[in-house]
Amino acid sequence: MNVAPQTYRKGEIPGVIAIRASDCKGCDACKRHCPTGAIQGAFGATHSIDVDACLSCGQCLINCPFGAPYETADSVENVLARLRDRTVTVAGIIAPAVRVAIGEDFGLPAGTLATGKLYSAMKKAGFEIFDNNFAADLTIMEEGSEFIARARQAVFGEKGAHGEAAGPLPQFTSCCPAWVRFVETKYPALIPHLSSAKSPQQMAGAVAKTYGTKVWNKPADRLYTVGIMPCTAKKLEASRPEFNQAFLYNRRNNAAAGVAYPDVDAVLTTRDLSRLFKKLNIDLAAQKDSAGDTLLADYTGAGTIFGNTGGVMEAAVRTACAVITGKELTPLDFRPARGLKGVKSASVTLHDAKYSKDVTLHLAVVHNIAQNIDPLLRDVLAGTSPYHFIEVMNCPGGCVNGGGQPVYGNGSSWLGAIRPWFAWN
Amino acid sequence: MHHELLILKHPLRVRMFHYLLIVSFLPLAATGVILYFKPLGESAMNLAMQIHAAAGALLALAAGAFFLLAFDRLLLFVKRIFTFSLDDVRWFAVLGGYPQKLLLGRKISVPPMGKYNSGQKLFGICVLIGGAVLIISGLALWAFPHLLPRAATAYLGLLHTFFGWLLTLFLPVHLFLGVYMVDDFKAMILHGRIPLAEAGEMSPRWVEKEIIPLSENQ
Amino acid sequence: MEKQSLSYIENQPALSRREFITIGGIVVAFLALPVVWIRTIVASNNDYIRARTKGLYQDDARAAVRVSHANKSVARYYREFGGEPLGHLSHELLHTSYINRTKGLVS
Repeated sequence: MNVAPQTYRKGEIPGVIAIRASDCKGCDACKRHCPTGAIQGAFGATHSIDVDACLSCGQCLINCPFGAPYETADSVENVLARLRDRTVTVAGIIAPAVRVAIGEDFGLPAGTLATGKLYSAMKKAGFEIFDNNFAADLTIMEEGSEFIARARQAVFGEKGAHGEAAGPLPQFTSCCPAWVRFVETKYPALIPHLSSAKSPQQMAGAVAKTYGTKVWNKPADRLYTVGIMPCTAKKLEASRPEFNQAFLYNRRNNAAAGVAYPDVDAVLTTRDLSRLFKKLNIDLAAQKDSAGDTLLADYTGAGTIFGNTGGVMEAAVRTACAVITGKELTPLDFRPARGLKGVKSASVTLHDAKYSKDVTLHLAVVHNIAQNIDPLLRDVLAGTSPYHFIEVMNCPGGCVNGGGQPVYGNGSSWLGAIRPWFAWN
Repeated sequence: MHHELLILKHPLRVRMFHYLLIVSFLPLAATGVILYFKPLGESAMNLAMQIHAAAGALLALAAGAFFLLAFDRLLLFVKRIFTFSLDDVRWFAVLGGYPQKLLLGRKISVPPMGKYNSGQKLFGICVLIGGAVLIISGLALWAFPHLLPRAATAYLGLLHTFFGWLLTLFLPVHLFLGVYMVDDFKAMILHGRIPLAEAGEMSPRWVEKEIIPLSENQ
Repeated sequence: MEKQSLSYIENQPALSRREFITIGGIVVAFLALPVVWIRTIVASNNDYIRARTKGLYQDDARAAVRVSHANKSVARYYREFGGEPLGHLSHELLHTSYINRTKGLVS
């Protein structure tokens, strides 16, 4: 534990999650949820996290019965300070999964779609609204185009606009930072297979501090971007040192260059945001519905389903179908991608209008990588995988069950009544 | 020549079960306290947990076996420990006469008791309910804490801790009095038989109502 | 000389049929209750995930626009600033690369 971490670069947050020894009973429940075996400590002894193996996914945190794991990175006070600062515009980047879970922290039933109330509460707190679903739509445009390029290269030998080669198949999605870190620490040979597209959060940050300066009429160094995520690994992702493209772009295109700033300044989990609202005495459940104010809050149904396992795949299929065949997918519901089965697979045959040929794409969706990823990756490494496009989400169920979501005790109502007695409440 | 009239108080099935209880519960209590306070290093805590789980498994199997093979004795036990009267209140008022006997050397009169006196009935209730809760919650916490919703696991952990402490603190009382009352000690630990005279003094209602003579060939 | 006891008197277990059924029933119910409780809550363990999932699919089903390529605001972003997907500005702002972290990893 005193050895310096070796899988983090300068600036990245090592050890987003840690375990409070006094609360740990050594019951090993957390170990069964950890995708990398990063939890150390024998059965019965207090446990600790090996930060070099840890993905910061937070599954141990939301599943520990005794509330022993906790987050070491808390930006609520920083964000509150910026919200109070009149010279700074704070943009909240809201992930899809947040809107169906944050109500639980304010007494609403699980799954309540509280988008309007969330917008109201955020505006009351002083946020500008950047809906991450807009960035999700952007991600589909970028990653979908990338996949089509890779597929057309594989099938038709097509090369890029400047003759460059596209990446190999199968292509993996890259929006899940726990999954990306999983590849980087355990299967680096698969890196070329990862989509080069950033996650929606990071696209949002870069867009906010470039294009967004025109939308909000504020200079980039007065914009403070806050990711509001169902995910603890997003805190680690935002700290990756390469994610300052907005600063580099602005420095190249403007004369002035001050202190460097990251694309995403801070990340709050859904729980963090609930705490922030409560500190400001904002009751989300009592808010009236409110709509987004700018085009950066404009999103489609394809973007919003990113929070579910299979959602990214379904959104990608809708767009890929339209681009490849020239016709919209009917029906738009792509049901083979939906549901809680560990690995879902489907094949779609599309008539490529550009090459006048039928193409059959084999697609796979995997979540809960702790239980489901290894056989899939073995096949890919061996070259025997039948799939062309694979969506991967670390958390069981996808981001809706992410490590940053409100902890759902799931007891009967009388258990809920005695929950306040428990330490982690 | 000794003509001593004896009553079979604890048949073999019952004594066997009690041996298993001793062998499993003493390590459970000791390791339970260690697991609660966490005073030791990693490998020692792991060993404590392994012992706790193994002894718990033994306790569960013994209880299960008794349930299946001595169901009638179990029900009789349940009936006896849940049968109360005003005599029980009066017994507790003088604490069964034990403090007076032990500390002052005086013998006082005590309301007439059945096979189990009031204190033993209370202990029996604690052991029956507490034991069942500990076994069921212990099984869940050991085998599938990750499959239950976390609030449920936490609740089972709370129950396990509460009843664990209840029985662990009650145990020294039971151990002391169980050894102090020598005839009863021999009955439960050795041969199962108690002299009629002793039983008549400590459990007169039992002798009156529930004993029948058994003629034996010599 | 026979030291061992000459005769012993045994008690006859005294439980009537009715008592047997009543007490037996209570004991079995007391033991069955936690089993039923545990089975019920294990089965409902993922219900909250399904509820949240359903919320997002509802958000999609009632959306006016349901495909990313028809998002007018995204189109406007590209038109006014971003260029086109996989274009030069996209590579600069919206794409990234990854690193091999196994070199320093303690195995």
